[in-house]
Amino acid sequence: MDSRVFIYVGMFGSGKTELSINTAITLRKSSSKVALIDIDIISPYFRSRDEKLFLENMNIKVITAPERYMHADLPIIPPEVGGYISNKEFLTVIDAGGNEDGAIVLGSLNHFLENVDKKILFVINVFRPFSSTEEEIVRNIDKISRAARSKIDYLVNNSNIGPETTTDDIKTGEEIVLKVSKMTGIPAVFTSIDENIDYKGKLPIFRMKRFMKNSW
Amino acid sequence: MKMLMKGTEAIAEAAIRAGCRLYFGYPITPQSELTEYMAKRMPEVNGVFLQSESEVATVNMLYGAACTGKRVMTSTSSPGFSLMQEGISYMAGAELPAVFINVMRGGPGLGDIQPSQSDYFQATKGGGHGDYRMIVLAPHTLQEAANIMGEAFDLAFKYRMLVTILVDGMIGQMMEPVELPEWKNIEEFKEPDWALTGAKDRKPRKVTSFDLDPYELEKMNLRYQATYKKVTENEVRYEEFKIADADIIVVAYGTMARIVKTVVDSARKEGIKVGLFRPITLWPFPYERLSEIAGNVKHILTVEMSYGQMLEDVKLGVNGKTDVEFYGRSAGVVPTPMEVLEAIKKIAR
Repeated sequence: MDSRVFIYVGMFGSGKTELSINTAITLRKSSSKVALIDIDIISPYFRSRDEKLFLENMNIKVITAPERYMHADLPIIPPEVGGYISNKEFLTVIDAGGNEDGAIVLGSLNHFLENVDKKILFVINVFRPFSSTEEEIVRNIDKISRAARSKIDYLVNNSNIGPETTTDDIKTGEEIVLKVSKMTGIPAVFTSIDENIDYKGKLPIFRMKRFMKNSW
Repeated sequence: MKMLMKGTEAIAEAAIRAGCRLYFGYPITPQSELTEYMAKRMPEVNGVFLQSESEVATVNMLYGAACTGKRVMTSTSSPGFSLMQEGISYMAGAELPAVFINVMRGGPGLGDIQPSQSDYFQATKGGGHGDYRMIVLAPHTLQEAANIMGEAFDLAFKYRMLVTILVDGMIGQMMEPVELPEWKNIEEFKEPDWALTGAKDRKPRKVTSFDLDPYELEKMNLRYQATYKKVTENEVRYEEFKIADADIIVVAYGTMARIVKTVVDSARKEGIKVGLFRPITLWPFPYERLSEIAGNVKHILTVEMSYGQMLEDVKLGVNGKTDVEFYGRSAGVVPTPMEVLEAIKKIAR
């Protein structure tokens, strides 16, 4: 999957933030200039910006609301966002907010995004509400694609039930995602799994470390 | 099959499965996903979702809907719960069953959107006017929150009382695996004999909190008090965690209790015998059981995400039998396991 800008979209709570952080860390291994743009205006807690310090220590540029508005639920899109999308020196990951309300921010950045080498990835967790059947997922893809004013390039299977995920669950998700892929013609690009799980399926595997969790 | 859910979503879906088909609400962080979930879901189950113009309107819509004897609910967060207090008092006086969800955030005033437990007084001691009580349930996991919804409605109807599920923003926002409860068949619910459903061919019924005659109003009040007595005798719920051999018992509820469970295990690894006493009903508070166990321990430590609210009830329960210490943080700051462990060590020394 070759691209300069990677954009994660999907339903609320599908795993976009975990994928964005892990993607940025993976890209950082092969490139010195990596940026993570947090334009999640939907979630009040558990956002990419919560890992800002950790990521900046790894020399990943995190673009989010200014420090003093970090804990606000305000729809703040800082002006640097456009700059980092356009800057050809950077590999950039964009963490969009959930549902069509979150994707609408992407639509508003369309004038920056339209001429950029980018891939939009739609994240699917079949164990989340309103995402358990092929029909629901296809409807969601359509809604989010319209709000983002862009077509979806790839599907990602991130099906999990947190710490209780079994390989059977991941497989169930993979089967549904492949059916959705067939129905929509959008290729499924990988299955993301927790680093502590062993799984081999039909899709390539992306191993992830989990960041959005409590210390207890 | 388990689902990966947010607390707000788990509560909403569990309420629908418990037979709630009438939801009124107004969005406020950190519980807006509950309102949003209901907006999506109610049309799918032939229910009613209505977004009001404010929390004042919400509670009055709830008042009207509850008069029909159906399972009704709303959800809000701290400032919104304050706005609802007048209507809550009216509904309590009218002896109406309804379920309120308060996903607490930092206060007072506008506060912030981070988790807090600072509405304990408001929920348990009566935020509105008059001699009334409401049953207050405090789940500490998403699974418990989902399981408790059916019970909340059952209690509301059994006693004709308001029930509040008091959780904090952390339980509202975090995600966990949840096994959703079974569906209740709403066709099987009996229509209460007080429900206002149209008086054709029968005597009109009256649902009100009002009487101009003080002696009549006093009779109504004595009836409420008799109900509250029954509830305190029959509906106290709590959990005890590793208290059998404990020298120190920590009292905590909701998210705070969750954190303390982790701390109990780490303290025991360091040789400090700690247990957790977790009230599940904040009203009625488990005074009696706390009094029993207080006699067997050296210290009691109350830990809250507020500045000593439940502490007053703990002291009433312990009634001088042993020391009662306190540790708390508020305003949206969640105490870490390390901080709580330090507070325990200080007492153990």
